[in-house]
Amino acid sequence: MTKHNIRTSIGNIFVLLLVFVMLVPVIYMILMSFRTGEEIAADPLGMPSGLFLGNYINTLESMNYFRSVANSVGITLSVTVIVAFVGSLAAYPLARSTNAWGRAFIMLVALGLATPAFVTITPIYVIFRQVGLLDNYVGIILAFTALNLPLAVFFYVGFIGAIPRDLEEAAKLDNCTDFQVFWHVIRPLLGPATATLSLFVMLMVWNDFTYPLLLLTDPDKFTVMISVYRFVGNHNIEPDLLFPAAVLGSLPLLIIFVIFQRRIVSGVTAGAVK
Amino acid sequence: MSSRTTKLLFMLPALIVLAVFFVYPIALTFYYSFTDFTGVGTPEYAGLKNYDRIMSRSRYPEALKVTILFTLIVVTVQTLAGLFIATLLQRLPAVRNFARAALFTPAMMSFVIVGYLWQFIYSPFNGGLNALLTSVGLESLTRAWLGDPSTALFAIAIAHVWMFTGYTTAIFLAGYANIPGDIEEAGKLEGANSLQRFWYLELPLLAPSVTINVMLSTIGTLKTFELPFIMTKGGPDGATRTLSLEIIENLFGAYKFGFASSLSIVMLVIVIIVAFVQNKFLRGREDNMS
Repeated sequence: MTKHNIRTSIGNIFVLLLVFVMLVPVIYMILMSFRTGEEIAADPLGMPSGLFLGNYINTLESMNYFRSVANSVGITLSVTVIVAFVGSLAAYPLARSTNAWGRAFIMLVALGLATPAFVTITPIYVIFRQVGLLDNYVGIILAFTALNLPLAVFFYVGFIGAIPRDLEEAAKLDNCTDFQVFWHVIRPLLGPATATLSLFVMLMVWNDFTYPLLLLTDPDKFTVMISVYRFVGNHNIEPDLLFPAAVLGSLPLLIIFVIFQRRIVSGVTAGAVK
Repeated sequence: MSSRTTKLLFMLPALIVLAVFFVYPIALTFYYSFTDFTGVGTPEYAGLKNYDRIMSRSRYPEALKVTILFTLIVVTVQTLAGLFIATLLQRLPAVRNFARAALFTPAMMSFVIVGYLWQFIYSPFNGGLNALLTSVGLESLTRAWLGDPSTALFAIAIAHVWMFTGYTTAIFLAGYANIPGDIEEAGKLEGANSLQRFWYLELPLLAPSVTINVMLSTIGTLKTFELPFIMTKGGPDGATRTLSLEIIENLFGAYKFGFASSLSIVMLVIVIIVAFVQNKFLRGREDNMS
């Protein structure tokens, strides 16, 4: 072996060790979820003695888990559809020409992207209370739509900008209206952008807990994270409930992450870089 | 696009959403900040009373200090760790993609879960960290990590850095991917070693990634309240009470909507100033380097 090879091998081993250390909290979470409260108290670092599922059974019974998962999935789908439609519609003229108005609109979108949630959350809470959107699926869907829209507009402007104009020109010669051009020519090409966008929406709907914490009070409407938050908080952080709830709360996204990891990492990174 | 009206029609739905959920609320928050609104009835005009209170009580400058210290720790550690790991991975193609995805995993998790998980790791009784220290003979170091004012903020910062280092690493790796291969080759042919290539070739060319990482993590960390909210509720003795946490507790603990609004406005101004100054400074640095 040459000196170079030895150094590469040492480097690889070091990186794998580093990855292991970084993942220790996740591994710890999974291992602990199979141990009883007494076992953890007696030996905090011990391994599970078997595949003890009692914690999971207790947690599933009292956390309203499947209902929350269904809520999160339903909200994600609705938000994705609305954001994709409203966002790409606005992005189309912006991608094709920008005048002073277009630039003003872009500034507005940037403002939406940069505004911290708590600046707008009080008025949104007050407005929702006035119009009866508190504790309402429509309300939470609208709120998440607004949060995701700025990113969606930027995303689609970049994507549509890269679509050649020839197709549109041909459609226009056939006397299509602008909307028909958008709907029949542009929209069918947006699939990859919408797929990446839906991953963003899913991440936010699944993991955010500020909005649902304030806008939802009915446990039947809770998203997954609010269920986890209320459930663990109500039980005084007991490990035999905390760990299975944490695993159940993260598992669906972690599975999706393992399947789509390349797309998610490059999508999120590209979203940041733009 | 034929006419201006058509363009406007295309943008109209988005305009309505942005107006209803951003422009109008920001204006309303600004208005509330000059009132003693408690969430019910009509807000009474209170002049500058709320802002006076922020200036005159030591509690709020303290919270600002905690916020800035927290942000400084997180941004520094996370950027340096991300840069170090990305630089290693750049030189180790065999493990690069696997490590990038694996390190990204914590960023897929919610603040709720990360908060509870680390709260338990730091727990004084049956928590993992103290047990680990005891098992390697460092029992003298064990403590109530989140209950001790001298360690609580650092403990939360570590959980935050743990969550987002993989994200920072991925952005630096994207920056590395943009460095033309022939520049690296030229460096190697000139006999530059790995460290020299990093310092003289790569680091200057990574300037845009440094800008993005520092700005994203600064703004994200300044406005975060989730981990202190879950792990410590601002304690012990205000050691982890950030400005954002103060806002949330005034809103939904005390229903002081007017006062919380004035704190939000202060926070918004701080975020804008920091973003503006960083942008100017870091972009200027990019220009000098290229």
